[in-house]
Amino acid sequence: MNNRDWAALCFIPATVLVAPVFAQDYLSVAQAQHALFPKADSFVDSTITLTSEQRDRIKALAGVRQRQEKPPVWKAMQGGKLQGWLLVDEVIGKHEFITYATAISPDGTVLGVEVMSYRETHGGQVRDAAWLAHFAGKHLSDPFKLDQDVPNISGATLSCRNITDGVKRLLALHKVVLAS
Amino acid sequence: MRLLSCSALACILALPFATHADENLFGYVKGAETLPKGSMELYEIVTKRSDKGAGEYDAWDMETELEYGVTDRFNISGSIKLMSIDTSGLIIDGYLPGAEQYGPKFAGGEFAMKYNFLSPAKDDFGLSGYMSFDYGTLDPHSGKDKTTRSLDVQLLAQKYFMEGQMIWVGNIAMENTYAVRDPLAVQPTANFDWPLEPEMEIEWKFGTGLSYRFMPNWYLGAEAIYETEFETEVGQERWSLFAGPSLHYGGPSFWATLTWFDQLRGGGEKYENQYPDENNPVPQADTDLHLVEKTKDEWRLKVGFNF
Repeated sequence: MNNRDWAALCFIPATVLVAPVFAQDYLSVAQAQHALFPKADSFVDSTITLTSEQRDRIKALAGVRQRQEKPPVWKAMQGGKLQGWLLVDEVIGKHEFITYATAISPDGTVLGVEVMSYRETHGGQVRDAAWLAHFAGKHLSDPFKLDQDVPNISGATLSCRNITDGVKRLLALHKVVLAS
Repeated sequence: MRLLSCSALACILALPFATHADENLFGYVKGAETLPKGSMELYEIVTKRSDKGAGEYDAWDMETELEYGVTDRFNISGSIKLMSIDTSGLIIDGYLPGAEQYGPKFAGGEFAMKYNFLSPAKDDFGLSGYMSFDYGTLDPHSGKDKTTRSLDVQLLAQKYFMEGQMIWVGNIAMENTYAVRDPLAVQPTANFDWPLEPEMEIEWKFGTGLSYRFMPNWYLGAEAIYETEFETEVGQERWSLFAGPSLHYGGPSFWATLTWFDQLRGGGEKYENQYPDENNPVPQADTDLHLVEKTKDEWRLKVGFNF
């Protein structure tokens, strides 16, 4: 390569340096807890360490693997009674990770989902209450298929697919580990 | 300067547009995803083809393409092509009349359509059909004036692994070309063959690529293409296998892919260099490569902006 070719290629890393960073953190853990369990008076840290056998069973139920060995989990309590479980999880977006929280009732029903961090510039509709509402009331036996029981968002299909698969995986985690 | 100015234009235009599907993780093989309805993507593609094993040979192809999502499944695109060339010390009978240096020069345009049958993210396996009509005004090998009309039809497959962290693509393509050369202003040697009758060519291409997101925003992959071309007079004129690594950055403002494509093997027509003495031609030294219509390697830089 001659000097002209190298000079042209050097523009690419220079542009990366000046490109704006678009990381967006919308909810902290505390905010997600209260948004999903507004009546809870306390949250008990119940972070678990999964065995490889548990992760295999989760994958068998959900169809996707459980990447995190120590998923953050909290018990939502009201007056000393268990209201449900709050799980914080990460899935892959087009370029970066998406952080979201899922509230699951003691009997394994999705109570709600909130997107805590969305770092893609397009596809921000995954944060809309109207889209997230499709997860409320779901059980592990539901299809969790885009354009079947969860609508797809054009241009953010991978994000929609991974969040949908993620919520199903968290229901599987609940069944394997928390329900007992 | 021409390569510098083209890439500078591409990068300086890095306005805060969104990145979408149809982001090209590879330089040569194509993915099966399409732009969402109403979206547009602007591509700047620069390719450098170098080294025919004798003399000096560098050629640059520059393409500016605009793609539009007519529907979520159907995209159209149009592009304008430019070419630069710098070659000397090589005369190939029938293909390369001799020294040529210019650039950039208008080389033609292309109109393409892409239809997505299966979505790789939604349907577990992606499949799209692709068709393009290309009109060329320059011979990409010699840089001489030549009118070409091509129809390229492709089947594009794509699959995500590891929840999208790894992507595989596969392409099958067939291109039909009708070409007519302009007469040479100067005959390079006494018996130099430069057919002016129309030529018809059929080219088959089989490509594959695998890319892995090794850190947020960054992908590293490898791609390969096997090509074979058949031409009226000679039958199988050439075949080649190119392969190489691809580095991709995808961010909020733009994306970029850099690929180095090395010719691993090639065959078909081989040249005898008639420079400087047509009576004592020097046979092609690299006998396991096709260097008449191909070079030893290529570099390709693609930059994309969505809006």
